Formats: sequence, C-alpha cells, structure tokens
Amino acid sequence: MTEVAAFAAWLGGAILVLADARRGLALGLAVMAAGLAGLAFAAGQDPTAGALLAGGVVGAVLRARSGPEGWGLMQPGSTPRIILTVLTALLALYVGASVATGDGAPLRFAVVVAIVLTAGRMLQGSERAAALTAASGLALALAAGATLAPSASFSAAIVAAVIAAGASILPAAEPRGA
Amino acid sequence: MEPELAVALPAAGAAFAAALRPRPRLALGLGALLGAGGMAAVVLSAPGAASNLLGVTLSLSAPSRSVLIVAAASLAFVVILAPQNAERSTLLRWGLAGLAGMAAIAVAPTPDISVLVLLVLVVLQATGPGRRPFVRRLRAPALAVALIGLGLLFARMPGPPSLARLGAVGLVAGLVAAIGALPYIHEFDPEEMTASSPIPWMAFVGPVFAVVVLTRARELLPSATGAFGAMLIGLGLLNIVWGCIASWRTELGAAAWRYSFIADWGLALCGFGLGVYEGQAGALLILYAILLGRLPLYLWSRQPLREKIQKDRPINLLVAAALAGSAPFAGFPARILLLRGATALYWPLALVLAATLLLWVPSSLRLGRTVGMPTGRQLLGIVIALGASAALGLYPQPFLSLAGL
Amino acid sequence: MPPLALLVPIGLPILGSLVAALLGRAGSGAARAAASVGLWSAAVAIVALWLPVRSTQELTLGQLGFGSGLDLRLDAMSLVFSLIVLVPAATLLSVQPRSWQESTVAALGVGAAVLAVEAGGVLLTAVAGCTAATLAVIQLDVEDVSAPRPSWALLLAAWLAVAWAGVVLQVQGGTAVYSAVPVSAMTLPVFALLGFAAIFSAGLFPWRGWASRLWARPSLRAAGMTVATLQPLGLYLLVRAYELGDGRYPNPNLNLLLAAWGVLVAFGAAARAQAATTRREYMAEVLPGLAGFALMSVAVGSALGLVAGLILTATVAVIAICLPLLPERAGPQPLLVAAAAAGLPPSLAFGGRLLGLGAAFEHGGAMGVIALAGVATWLLAAAAAARSVGLAAGPGRPAAETFPRVAAILGGLAVAAGPALGLAYYAGSTAASDVMSPPSGALGNGIASIVTVSTVIPVIALLGPLLVVGAIALAFARPVPSVGRSAARPPLFKLHGAILAARIAGEVRAMAVPSQYRSLFNPRALESAAAGGTPILWLASLVAIAFAVTR
Repeated sequence: MTEVAAFAAWLGGAILVLADARRGLALGLAVMAAGLAGLAFAAGQDPTAGALLAGGVVGAVLRARSGPEGWGLMQPGSTPRIILTVLTALLALYVGASVATGDGAPLRFAVVVAIVLTAGRMLQGSERAAALTAASGLALALAAGATLAPSASFSAAIVAAVIAAGASILPAAEPRGA
Repeated sequence: MEPELAVALPAAGAAFAAALRPRPRLALGLGALLGAGGMAAVVLSAPGAASNLLGVTLSLSAPSRSVLIVAAASLAFVVILAPQNAERSTLLRWGLAGLAGMAAIAVAPTPDISVLVLLVLVVLQATGPGRRPFVRRLRAPALAVALIGLGLLFARMPGPPSLARLGAVGLVAGLVAAIGALPYIHEFDPEEMTASSPIPWMAFVGPVFAVVVLTRARELLPSATGAFGAMLIGLGLLNIVWGCIASWRTELGAAAWRYSFIADWGLALCGFGLGVYEGQAGALLILYAILLGRLPLYLWSRQPLREKIQKDRPINLLVAAALAGSAPFAGFPARILLLRGATALYWPLALVLAATLLLWVPSSLRLGRTVGMPTGRQLLGIVIALGASAALGLYPQPFLSLAGL
Repeated sequence: MPPLALLVPIGLPILGSLVAALLGRAGSGAARAAASVGLWSAAVAIVALWLPVRSTQELTLGQLGFGSGLDLRLDAMSLVFSLIVLVPAATLLSVQPRSWQESTVAALGVGAAVLAVEAGGVLLTAVAGCTAATLAVIQLDVEDVSAPRPSWALLLAAWLAVAWAGVVLQVQGGTAVYSAVPVSAMTLPVFALLGFAAIFSAGLFPWRGWASRLWARPSLRAAGMTVATLQPLGLYLLVRAYELGDGRYPNPNLNLLLAAWGVLVAFGAAARAQAATTRREYMAEVLPGLAGFALMSVAVGSALGLVAGLILTATVAVIAICLPLLPERAGPQPLLVAAAAAGLPPSLAFGGRLLGLGAAFEHGGAMGVIALAGVATWLLAAAAAARSVGLAAGPGRPAAETFPRVAAILGGLAVAAGPALGLAYYAGSTAASDVMSPPSGALGNGIASIVTVSTVIPVIALLGPLLVVGAIALAFARPVPSVGRSAARPPLFKLHGAILAARIAGEVRAMAVPSQYRSLFNPRALESAAAGGTPILWLASLVAIAFAVTR
C-alpha cells in the first residue's frame, strides 16, 4: 500500500507538472495529496494524514474553479517536462531507497519527488494558476516530510493544509498595475 | 502567551491596515498600535520560555528575539520618518506582515513550520502589486523553500554521512536562495516598489530567517558541521567579492544598493560559517547594521536616485563611512570579531577576509552620494541611522547580550 | 583622583563638539569657542590628572563587546602624546575662524585621537584611531570637498591592520592590553601590521604622500588639524610596539628597516623641498621631513633614540600649529618657522635631531650608516630652508586665517627652547621609561647637560650662547629687498624622477578596462543568467556545491 501511495504522490506531481489548466492542476494536486496522506496514514500518523488529505482536496476543489479552462495536459512542448518527471522519479528512488537506509523508503521517495516536481513547476512555469497549485503541493510535501520527525508533524500538516487551500483561493489572474 | 501575541498582533495590524486602505490615517494608527503591542510581547517574552496556548509549543530563542526587536525598531523608524513620496500606511502594512511572518518563523516549534511560514510569505509577497509578473517573483524564493525542505529531509534520512552533507547543502543553498545572494540571486527591477522587490528578503525577513535556520541546522546536523561551515564561508567570500565589485561598477544606483546588501550578507555568512562565538557575534552585528542602517538608508536614497541627484557633501561621506564599516560605525567591531574568529580558526582565512574588507570603500563612496542632499525628515532619519550605527559600533555589548552572547 | 576622571580628557572634547553643534544650529557665533574650550580644558585636565600622581593610572569599565573592554590608561607616554594632539588642535581651533560644522567635527576627531592614546589596549586604539581618521577626512571634506585629501581607503586599511594586530595578540597571547601582552605574542606578523599601520596612517612615505599634498589645498585650516591629529597617532603605534615587546621590536632588523624608512621619508621631503618652486611647496615638505627624522629616532631601538623621537614629535606638533598660520608673503615669520623646522641651532628640532642621530651612531653597525644618511639629509633640509627664503609665495589664502604673529611667536619659542633640551630630555625619559628600560644616560648638573653612552652634551652651555648670539643677530638684522621670481636660487638638483613618477601615477589612475572587454564584467548579465529564464545556473551551482561537499 505504501508503494501505491508513493506512486500516487509521484503521479500527482507529474500531472501537476504536465498540466496547464485548472482541471489538470486540480487532479494533480488531489492525487498527490492522496498519496502523501496515504503514506502518513501508513506511518501511523492519522491526524497528519487527515490534514494533508483535507488540505489537498479543498485546494483541488478550489483550483478546479479558477484558472485556465480545461485539462491542459501534455501540451505541445511538454517533452522536457516528461523527462523531468521521469528523471526525478529515478533520482528519488535512488536516494530514498538505495542511499538512505532503514524503513520508510516509499515516504522518502514520495516527499523527494513531490518537492522536486512542485519546485520544478514553479521554476519553469509561466502561468500563475500552475505556480499557485505547485505552491500548494510544495506545502503538502513539506508537511509530509515532517512526518520523518513526528514531534510536531500534525501542526505542520495543519499549516500546510491551510496554505494548500489558501493558495487556491488567491486569484489565478495577474492583477493589473504595479 | 507572548509568542502567540508576537505573531497575532502584528498580523492583525497588517490585516487591519490592509482592510482600512481607503482610510490611511486610521490604518496607520491601528496598525501602529497593534504592531507596538506585538513588539511589546516580543520584548516581554523570556528567551527560550515555551508557551502552549494553542496546543503547540511556541518559544522564541534569544538570537531570534534580538533580531526581531531590531527589525521592529527599524520598521518603526522607517515608518515614522518615511521617505519622501512613500505612504506610511503602505509601509506599515507590508512591514507588519513581514514582522508577523518573521515572528512566526522564529517561534515555530519545528523547522518545517518555519519553512511553511516562509512559503506563505513568499506567496503573499509575490501576489502583491509589482512590476514583475507573479511567477517571476515567486521563482527564487520558492526555490529556497524547496531546497530547505530537501535539506531537512536529507538531514532526517538514516544513511551514510553523505546524506547529512546533502542536507547541509540543501539548508545552506536554501538559505542563500531565500536571502537572494549569489548564486541564487533574485531578479531585480530597480523601478519596482521596495516591498515587492528582493530587498525585503535580504534586508528584513532574511536576518531572522537566517538565525532560525542556522540555529536549527546545527542541532539537526551535528555530524556535518564542518561541511556546513565550509559552504557558508565559501559562499560568503564569493558574495563579498562579487557584491562589492558589482556595487561599485554596476550602472544603476538601486542595483548598486542591492549588491551592497549582498556583500554584507557575504560577511554575515562568513561569520556564521566560522562557528565560533566571535563569528556569530560579528554576523549578528552585521545583521543589526543591515536592519538599522543599510535598509533605512536605501529607502531614503530611492527618491534621490529617481531624481538622479548625487552629492558629495560631508553627510554623504558619513553615510559612506557607515556603509564601508569604518569606525565608529557598526561594521568595524563586526569586522574585528570576524577577524578574530578567523584568526583563531585558520589564519589564511583571516588573511583573505582582511584583504576583502577594503572592497567596501569604493562602493560605499558611490552609495553615499546617492542619498543626495537630505533635508527635513530625511536628514533627521539619516542622522538617527548613523547615530544608531555609531552606538552599535562603539558599544555593541548590550545588543549582543540581547542575543544571548 | 577617582579613576573615572580618566574619562574627562576624552569627554571634554566630545562635550565641546556637542555644544558647538547646538550653538551652531542655533545660529550662535560661539560654536568655535565652545569646541576650543573643550580641547583646552581637556589639555588642562590631563595635566591635572597626571601631576598629583605622576604614575600610571588605569580605569577598566567593562567589556564593550568586540573583544575589548573600555580600558583606559594614563601614563607619561600617553600624557605626552595627548598633549601633542590636544595643544596644536586647541590652538588652531582657537585662532583660525571656521564654521561650526568644521569645529564640531574637528573637536570630535581630537576626542577620538585622545581616546586612541589613552586606550589601554590595541583594539580600542584601533577603533578610536579609525574614528579619528574618518573624522579627519570628513573635516577636510566639510572645508572643501574637491581639494586634495588622504585616501580614505588607505587610512581605513591602516587602522584595520591595527585591529587585526590586536586580534592576533588576543589569539596568540590571550590579551591585547598593552601592559599585559606576553612578549612571545609580539611576533613579526603583528609588528608588520603595526608598522604598516603606522606608516600609512601618518602618511610617512618617501614619495609625495598625503601629508605633503594636504598643503596644496586652497585653505589650510583643516590641513593643519589633520596633520596635528593623525601624524602623532602613527608614531604612537611604533612607540607602544616597544611596550608590547618588552622594550624592543621582535627582530633587530626591523629597527634598521624602519630607521632606513624614516631617513628615506626625510630625504624625500628634503629633496622635494629643495626643488620647490613656491614657498607653499616648501612648507608642504617641512612636516614630513621632521616626521621622518622622528621615525628614524624612534626606530633606533634605544631609550635615547626614543626620547629624541618624542622631542621631534613634539616639534612636529609646534610646527603644525605654525604652518597653517603663516601668510603667503615673505617676511620674518616664515623665516623663523623654517629655521625652527630645519633645525637651526639652538632650536628644539636641532636638539632632537642631534640626540636622534647620536643614538643611531651609538648603536653602531648599519644603524650608524643610516645615521650618516640622516646627517646628509639634515644638511639638504637646511639648504632647502635657506633657499625657501627667496621663493615666491604660493597660491593665495584668505588673510583671515593667517596669524603671522602667533606663528612667529611659536616658531621663536621652538628655536629658543633649545637650551631647555635637558628639560625636554627629562620629560621624554619619564615617558620612555613606560615602554622600555630607562636610558642608560642621565642628566648631569640638573638639566644642564645630557649624558649619553658616548658623550656628554652640555645643552645649556652649548645652546645658550647660540641663542644669545642668534637673538643679537636678529635684533641687528635689517630687512633686505625681496628677491624677484626670476632671481630665485636654483635647486641643488632637479627631481627628474618625480615628474616621471607623477606622470606614470597619473596614467595608472586614468587606466580603464578597454571598452571591448568591459562586457566581461557585467553584473546585469549574470543576474539575467541566474534569475531569468531557465534555472541552469542555479542547478549547476547546486550540483557543484553538493559535489564539493560530498567528495
């Protein structure tokens, strides 16, 4: 199950990277949140998992209502992004499963891949909605990473959930004037 | 209760100031009141004392508290003696938002929450009005958040020592990206409003964030202290050299100021990287000098820069002296402390550091001219800034004691 | 007297400057008076503090926060140097009209200089000295922003070097307090830093440095104050270096090097002086010449040499008062001052040079050769002084800032004080004993003669009659017609190298990166590459850092 959740986190991140419109972004966020929540649940951090899932779902729902219309998946010129998702997965697998030792490889893989993909989306993006969604995803990923040191992971998850939802509330269009 | 109030009151002040934008005086008054309340909470809080009012343990370390206090003083100073053509309520609104964020970063129980708060600030700043599009303003600070997140992750992963070093890389690179120093320099539009520009990262939020990250980092990565220090020193020296030379040679005055902040940060990074008491103390003095000196002077130079007024009066030379780290200003004892730390640790480093210290002179002379011929409020502000710098330079012990040093 | 009283000589100039600023802002004309009262009262206070006790007094007020405490010390040496700084500054401030801004900055600078001298440790000296240097530069700018002034970067470098020396002493010896530094901590690198600082902060160069260029300013108000404040501080560092090394420098070769440098400084000044085309150009070389001899004497390494150096430094202080007060026209006043500076017997400068060169000859070996060069330089300086009588006046100055009578009186005193050399020797010995073992010589017959290792100098018997003869000659002297410019005596030798050196220096300063290469340094391009477009540079940096750290 943890492997499935880890795969879901990667898939969600990949969708987020490859989508340019509201539905695709919302789907990516939701799938990523589900994956990260699943991993937190598997680690025995139920409240954290709940907060991550709630934040991701709310963020996704709000994103689905603002931003460019449609799915926007795999637009022309997406090849570099596809390569990014694949390479990120391979690198995260190597680091999380091979270099690092001990239990929790899926969680490590998922967090690395989520952080890198969301950060990559923000660095490459030219579209505000995508950047905001990536910010939501990054928040969830950071909170999921906090479960590795579980002393205050629930509070981190709450904050991340608020950020994930809040970022999706912000207007997706550029305001006029400076 | 003080840590909670330290966050809540400035945040409320910023919110009210934003809501009352059509009525700037009311916004200013209410914002100032709430901001003052927040800072009173910071001042009254005991360093290290925990508070659990919200079910989460919040506490403020001594160094963070000291930098917060100085940042608040700087904000008050700049708002009261606001530069020409700057609206006080706008300055206060942005400043209180920053202050609330900084307080939240400082009181957060774990570094993860600190980084999440940073992400909030990043997004909020990028969504504000500005000349550059949202995605371009977001890029560099968001990279900072991601790098720090990765750094924390690697720091916690069980495995070979290289993972701890990668964690150190993430934290250091993330910190440098957050403040906008080389090589993670932020895009800069000289015409942009200061609040939307990279300046708040390096001159307002950055100091508290750096103190928090570096304090936590040493706790998280005890085995990678050497790598940590080496990276900070290496990047510090790079920023000193590039920052000073670019500040001197770049064409635009505002860009020259930005690079001067980078140069100062280079010195601070070297100080933090030394890892000894003197390095920490010197770095903190540099951060105080940035907050109380360089930032207000930059704000007062904006109008003369726009009007292309450059003067060579004695006041300009005094400003240059303060910016260059000449005695009696704050930069001189900071440099003494850094030299002492470097000499104790590794004398060739002290040699390199000493050689770079003179690089501040040509750029400072240039920056001194950019404050033009100050009069009225601007002159008073500059005099107070110089006085504060001189007080810090001649008797820094109380400020260092505030930071627990 | 409570130890807190040691703060008074520092606080009074600062108080004076604050009062001057307040009065000046209020439009009162008493600002300068307030500042000068501050300086005079500081001079009186420091003597009043010293005289009842006549031994070292210390005050420790706790840590300042940069590795040094507010440690103050008043011993004979700091008394001497404090007076050397305070008296000329107070005199110039009292006599010459200047704006309240200049008065304020000048008084503050002098307060900082006194703190540098009274400081009990190297770090506090560094902070205070740098403050004095910064304020001196600002004072020069207040007066005239476009006129020549010292390179601020070099002054800053000098005092940073002192700070670094203090830091090294702390690391190696555990302390930078003058009286507590272990001898083993005073190493060659530390001395090199102090030596560099002394030379650059005082402007003691064989070539035409800031100490000479200052005198080309249209007004000499700030120039006099600057030289009076900064030059003694540089020499003070070398004097205290003896204390750090328990009476000697870390290596005897350093004494030779510094002494040779001092003679070179004096020779350079003398060579330029004898080639001067105007009286102002000649005046510009007087103080560097004297200071060079002071440096040579201090560097000899014996107590006699140190005493001679102190006497010459005191002479520098007196001449630093006279020069800015002299008018541009010819007359007895410039003649008297030139004679005093050139070391015409029986002047104090004569006695100081005599003792200094004598100390060098006594040392023997290479120092004796340096002393020979010193003698030749002295002769050249005397020839230059004689030639200066017939020189044309330099660029005009406001008459309001010249006080020929005051200059003449002080110049005359400097000449007439020669027979009191024994008294000066006594004072100098008392001060010198604070930093090295007392001189092996003593005073014979009270203060009538000075006994050294190799000789006895009957100062009163020798110099007293010379004074009488000189006074008689002056009384019977008649003014002669002034020499036309075309009839001025030619220099002994022309400075061909100086013109070439000046041209080369000018070409170096004018150098710029060729335009086709300027794009190599382009901060905006780096910024665009780093922050705009693709984050290749960021990623590459990250990989590079990670590789470097994990190797």
